Amino acid sequence: MTEVVSENSEVTVLLVDDNPQNLKVLYETLKDQDYRLLIANEGEKALDLARRHQPEVVLLDIMMPEMDGYEVCERLKADPEAADCAVVFLSALDDLQAKVKGFALGGADYISKPFQSQEVIARVKTHARVIRLERELQARNRELQGDQARILNSISEGIYGLDENGTIEFANPAAAIIMRSPVEDLIGRNFFETHFATASECPDGLPVQATCRLGVAENQRDIRMLRADETGFPAEYRSTPKHESDELHGAVVVFRDITTELESEHALEEARELVQEQRHQLAHTSRLTTMGEMAAGVAHEVNQPLTAIANYARVSKRMMSVESPNLNLLQETLDKIEAQSHRASEIIRRIRRFMKKPATGKEVLSVSALLEDTRQFAEVDARNNDGAIELVVPEDLPDILADPIQVQQVALNLIRNALEATRAAETAQPVEVSARVVSEGCVRVEVRDHGVGLTEDAEEKLFLPFYTTKDEGMGIGLPTCRSLIQAQGGDIGFERPEDGGARFFFTLPVANAPSCSPSDETPSGVV
Amino acid sequence: MTDIQQTVYVVEDDEAVRDSLELLLKSDEKIVKTYENAAVFLKDYSEDMAGCIVLDIRMPGMDGMELQKKLNDKHSILPIIFVTGHGDVPMAVDAMKEGAVDFIQKPYREEALLEKIEAALAQDLEQRKTLDEKQEIIRRIKSLTPREHEIMDRMIEGQANKVIAIELEISQRTVEIHRSRVMHKMGTHSLAHLVRMVLSVKNLIDAP
Repeated sequence: MTEVVSENSEVTVLLVDDNPQNLKVLYETLKDQDYRLLIANEGEKALDLARRHQPEVVLLDIMMPEMDGYEVCERLKADPEAADCAVVFLSALDDLQAKVKGFALGGADYISKPFQSQEVIARVKTHARVIRLERELQARNRELQGDQARILNSISEGIYGLDENGTIEFANPAAAIIMRSPVEDLIGRNFFETHFATASECPDGLPVQATCRLGVAENQRDIRMLRADETGFPAEYRSTPKHESDELHGAVVVFRDITTELESEHALEEARELVQEQRHQLAHTSRLTTMGEMAAGVAHEVNQPLTAIANYARVSKRMMSVESPNLNLLQETLDKIEAQSHRASEIIRRIRRFMKKPATGKEVLSVSALLEDTRQFAEVDARNNDGAIELVVPEDLPDILADPIQVQQVALNLIRNALEATRAAETAQPVEVSARVVSEGCVRVEVRDHGVGLTEDAEEKLFLPFYTTKDEGMGIGLPTCRSLIQAQGGDIGFERPEDGGARFFFTLPVANAPSCSPSDETPSGVV
Repeated sequence: MTDIQQTVYVVEDDEAVRDSLELLLKSDEKIVKTYENAAVFLKDYSEDMAGCIVLDIRMPGMDGMELQKKLNDKHSILPIIFVTGHGDVPMAVDAMKEGAVDFIQKPYREEALLEKIEAALAQDLEQRKTLDEKQEIIRRIKSLTPREHEIMDRMIEGQANKVIAIELEISQRTVEIHRSRVMHKMGTHSLAHLVRMVLSVKNLIDAP
């Protein structure tokens, strides 16, 4: 387009004169210049040709019967199809008034008759080139505008151009779709009054207001906008100030309807809550299962103090039946009864706490207290399994932040597995439970046994749901442990000690540390 | 027999249960000795122990059932009352098959426990008396000369003096002298009593 093949090619020049002789002279003058020459001997004909061929240059005689040159020029300039041509007046009239009138009507130039051919050729050439360049420029402009329009039209987000008062100056098709109102109806309306019910109540606090008035960009989500029919929808928008030569000229608002988005977010949130709920449910079920498995041990554990209480009570009665009872001895026995009843209620408290649902939430916890409590709990099982539990926790271990029941559930699960493995191996070596600080604000708890260990096949699938190595196992213990520990911001894993048995560990964040990344010390087995 | 002092041996790992049971039994005028686990009791065990064992079936380390087996290996005749928890009935049944006299479930009523202990002590006394009698018979049998022993065996088989004299190639008179010595040494005048005495210890002297 920009490349001009031959300077004059495709340039059309319209010659208009009522005098055939003049036309002939003009034609002769220009015919060798490689222009397309059109000829009209009166105004109407000239207008018709100009409309059909869009000449670059019109050489126009002023003094013509019917319609004079001025009128032809006026009508040419009024016709959008032909308005961009350069009108060069030709006339014998040589007064200033006539020239001024010609320029006032849109004329580009003026040649006095009689004319010199060289002058005509030179002027036509100049004007043809100017018009040619102008047309190319316009074509380029149209193309650019077309691109912009296509972009604006194809964007799915609504776009408004606002003036500083909030009057809508521009709206793209997406805006019309979102607002359910044709673009023409939107333009000219006030953005604030149309789209916000509270426009009259708080004229200063509305979205986009600050952008329009103060030039401050905004970006907000879940803003309720109204359509022309007064139905509302949740929107997200960005507004950017529009500057023209450093002066604020309103704003551009890009917005979209986020109803569906919010719905899916809501659905996602619900699904997340459901998963959370089910995780809690599963954890609780797993605790119930554990307690079920430990029922015999628990009954035994509760029976001990009850048996002792019954015995002491009977002894007390017998002491009182003699003539002068030994009150000191009686007091001592009653104290023993009291201590045993505390012991029984402590066992029951521990069970009730463990069975409680849902879990109580994160607390700052002493690791040693929690593990000691768990050890006592597990000893109900140790008794059944003939195993012993050895607890090693350094005194200066920092507190952790976690849900006590869930951590106890995990620890109990690992300890019980360890006891079971120990029993299966028929070894007397105790299960070792230890805790220490590892890098990055983590406390690491280990449960080590000298039992039968795990096959490599089992090691890979340990934390997969429904995988189990036990005859009566369901395969939910360790997967539940993993989800519980991860919910606490920690990690759980398995290591194979060189001298046999198994070592399970889990990490938990220290109370003032945000979370616990897998420790550097445990490159393998972290799951 | 009256000089035997019967003791209730309590083997129980739980300190409170052990302590309360000791007090209870002592208040019932029993002689009580307590052990905190099976191994300690086994170390202390001797054949001279008389009385009964109150044994917790569930204990860390060696449990009640294992102790029972070890005591059986030592030919202990101490009656055992197993103390069981809820749900231990299958274990208790096995224990009974191994010769335990009884079992009682925790928590128990004192009367029930004392009743079972009394019964066990009575059984112990009875067994011990029988055992003493048998040991007396064995002592008497061992005082016989080989010839007298041989003649006693033939008497028990029901051989007449004449048959014994012919088979041993001795005079019938000599047989009569031996026979009267046997009856004297065994402390009886009746052949029927002699037969019963010897048969009652047959399993004991055949495998000395």
